[in-house]
Amino acid sequence: MTWYLVRRIGQSIAVVIGVMILTFILVHFEPGSTARAVLGQKASPARIALFDNTYGLNRSLPVQFWLYCDNVLHGNFGISYVYGQPVSTLIAQRLPRDAVLLGLSTLLALLIGVPMGLYQAIHHGTLRDDVVAGTWFTLYSAPDFMEALLLIAIFCVHFQWLQAAFPGGITSVGGLFADPSAMVLPVVVLSINSVAGFSQYMRSSAIEELAQDYIRTARAKGLRERLILTRHLLRNALLPIVTILGLSLPNIVAGAVIAEAIFNFPGMGLLFWSSALQHDFPVLLGATLIIGVATVVGNLLADITYGVLDPRIRHAIA
Amino acid sequence: MRRTQRLVMTAAGLGLTTLVAACAAGHGPSVGSGNSQTTGQKMQGGTVTIAENGYSPNFLFPAPPATNSNGYNIVLSEGLWPTLVYAGDGASTGVNPKESLYSSMTWSDDDKVITIVLKPWKWSDGVPITSRDFAFAYNLLKANYNDWAYYVTGLFPADVTKVLTPNAHTVIVDLTRSYNPEFYTDDVLTYFSLMPQHAWDKTSMTGKIGNYDETPSGAKKVWNFLQQQGGQESTFATNPLWKVVDGPFKLAEFESSGYYAYVPNKNYSGPTKPALSKVIWTPFTDDEALMDTLRSGTSVSVAILPLSDVRQIPALEAEGYSVAQVPTAGVAEILPNFWNPAIAPLVRPLYLRQAMQYLINRKQIVQKAFNGYADPGNGPVPVLYGKQWDSSLEKAGGPYPYDPAKAIALLKAHGWKVVPNGTDTCVRPGTGPTDCGAGIAAGRPLQYQLLFATGSTSFDEQNAAIVSSEGQAGIKFTLKGEPFNTLVATTGTCNAQSHPASTCYDWQLQQYGYNSYLADPNGAGMFNTDGITNYGGYSSPEMDKLIDATEYGSSSSAFFAYEDYAAEQLPLLWLPDASQVFVYKKNLAGVTPTNPFDATYNPEVWYYTKSAS
Repeated sequence: MTWYLVRRIGQSIAVVIGVMILTFILVHFEPGSTARAVLGQKASPARIALFDNTYGLNRSLPVQFWLYCDNVLHGNFGISYVYGQPVSTLIAQRLPRDAVLLGLSTLLALLIGVPMGLYQAIHHGTLRDDVVAGTWFTLYSAPDFMEALLLIAIFCVHFQWLQAAFPGGITSVGGLFADPSAMVLPVVVLSINSVAGFSQYMRSSAIEELAQDYIRTARAKGLRERLILTRHLLRNALLPIVTILGLSLPNIVAGAVIAEAIFNFPGMGLLFWSSALQHDFPVLLGATLIIGVATVVGNLLADITYGVLDPRIRHAIA
Repeated sequence: MRRTQRLVMTAAGLGLTTLVAACAAGHGPSVGSGNSQTTGQKMQGGTVTIAENGYSPNFLFPAPPATNSNGYNIVLSEGLWPTLVYAGDGASTGVNPKESLYSSMTWSDDDKVITIVLKPWKWSDGVPITSRDFAFAYNLLKANYNDWAYYVTGLFPADVTKVLTPNAHTVIVDLTRSYNPEFYTDDVLTYFSLMPQHAWDKTSMTGKIGNYDETPSGAKKVWNFLQQQGGQESTFATNPLWKVVDGPFKLAEFESSGYYAYVPNKNYSGPTKPALSKVIWTPFTDDEALMDTLRSGTSVSVAILPLSDVRQIPALEAEGYSVAQVPTAGVAEILPNFWNPAIAPLVRPLYLRQAMQYLINRKQIVQKAFNGYADPGNGPVPVLYGKQWDSSLEKAGGPYPYDPAKAIALLKAHGWKVVPNGTDTCVRPGTGPTDCGAGIAAGRPLQYQLLFATGSTSFDEQNAAIVSSEGQAGIKFTLKGEPFNTLVATTGTCNAQSHPASTCYDWQLQQYGYNSYLADPNGAGMFNTDGITNYGGYSSPEMDKLIDATEYGSSSSAFFAYEDYAAEQLPLLWLPDASQVFVYKKNLAGVTPTNPFDATYNPEVWYYTKSAS
């Protein structure tokens, strides 16, 4: 197991380095002058030269990449051309907020989706199964921005029960809960799509497990149905969910552009989007690196958790 | 406060891509023109929350560095350190002498020497504002103007030979050449803020105050120190340097998210003491979030309404908001590239530009694409914004009202076979007065590519309308959209100096929003040869002469001579210029008339009324 972990971590580091190189090359293929994109068309040649010199853009690409790597290894992601702040600060401000928002929505989706999938599996092929699946697929197929606007129209504009948007100026995770009613709709909207995914994976997995010999044996031994479901079925059926959770880690880090835009939530998604539009390379590189790390860590965690949950896998890799 | 937009030159960079969005055909609901008045007894106190959209300030010092083009920094700093000359007086684009720091400004007979007498106002710490503060700010800029974001080549302070301070309130500025006083006052001195020498003339936080600014090397050290402090967002609201202000407000809170709050400067010497106890700027990530917040009746007091949402006006009025239209101080255009060899022959002849202009149905675009909230674009000066600047030609609708018949006649008269809704071709090549023109071969199709900034449905609709209407005379436009920043990054200024520049070969015609004006909309920089915002490289000795006359001459008719010439010569194709639609709480008074240079923010004159409280 230890050797397996070492090998996987080594692979992960190689992937992250690859992501760095690829991203650096790609962002520098973006057409046009960065200085002009940031300073505007009115910028004089002298101002453009000053900008390029200040940010090292007048140096060769390999030198720029070498300096970038050197800085990253020293914990310095550079200064945003647009915001004028360290990239690490910009990310540090947004990442925890996104983690909380998307973490809560994922948790809510799990709390609904897993029991829902089990319920459907138990009632597999019945009208109840069809009704539940139909309901979630309907919600899943609706665009999240439409769901968001609909819920805002009902709960914020018509009834005025909830806040339509986060108040401006939130800089900490605690600030998210200054007005908890502002959290309700973003969490609900972001969880809707995930519920459908989780429940259907859970349903399929549970149906498969329900046909396994160990379930039949448990039933034959006279074990109560609830114990069979919670103690035997659930643990085994959860394996696909673990994979999805692992793969959703980069989503949590990358933010959710549409939800951030609609609910006035300044997160990583909007930062990434606006940086791409504004040629803000340091932010793009920093954010991509973080997302790349999150992706490999998510995969790694999924693999490790697989081993923990399923002794067969643990023994196989040992 | 006034908010000029020297940095915020292009609409999409700050405003239009976020403010001008989707809209459908038809007239929008009618709104005020910036003159509606809230009635009721004036109250002291209260908090106003202003919605910011998209961007936020990141620098706090009245002279930002050349590498920082964030126009929102002006919004943040102008309430703390107003400029020597306060631009905008009510809805007028003139100078506001009451709010300005000078009590008199006298020009010598040869218009080379300015004698400025300062008002006996005080800094927030009680220290009088004196000519030494003028000299301090001047010394810093003089030693560092190449690193000053607002510096325009050749103008202040490079054009100053010396500054004398004969007494505590008098400043004499000796210039290298004569200027038109109106131009210099409106367009140059509206960017100069005095700085508190007694608090800022040092080179480190713990260092002692000295007269470091009096030598160039000392001025550079002070500048570097202040620039470094001005970039530290975490200390904006706490740094003792920034506690010394001469504006109506002090900065009480600042968050890196863009949220910040003003409280009144109790020692403000100006004529209008703030009645509000707090003014908050709160950031919104998107128009949709802002609209949802306004509709749900929350605490936002003031916001700029996206044009795509003008149909929400009745609902907002029901929620307790008033609405006003605020014209934009700028000019919108299609920019021809006079230096792209592939297209230059088709944009250099005036008759071709005239034909294209005749085919732009500006009135229809105002109504259909901008829901009625736009200046008609009759010429270089928007008629909704600066009435004192409008010539009779512009007031009458400009030289080229929509007239497809005239366009077709012009083309036929110059040797083109006109194919309505097809593509015209040149049948009479040559350079004679009835020929197609230099560089146009027989059979050459009359077609252009229009590069435009994506992200605004209003622009999309406008450009689709232009493609259609140009087609009536067989002028074929094809559209190519790019995100605004990509467009800016890939299309450099094209002129004789830059030629041949690779960035000049990628575009033919360009439409990206608008160019903002300074107080004096004389076209300097936009239409003169090698002007910094003359991106397409238009060049005309006559235009240069007329613009020079507005800057350096003394004739009061010079401006109209320039304006009419520019309107007729079409250095750009004139387009409607979108306005801003401003919503504010009905019980908030003083909001209108809005200052055309403020993007509507003058909270020092706002107050709540008792009737609505």
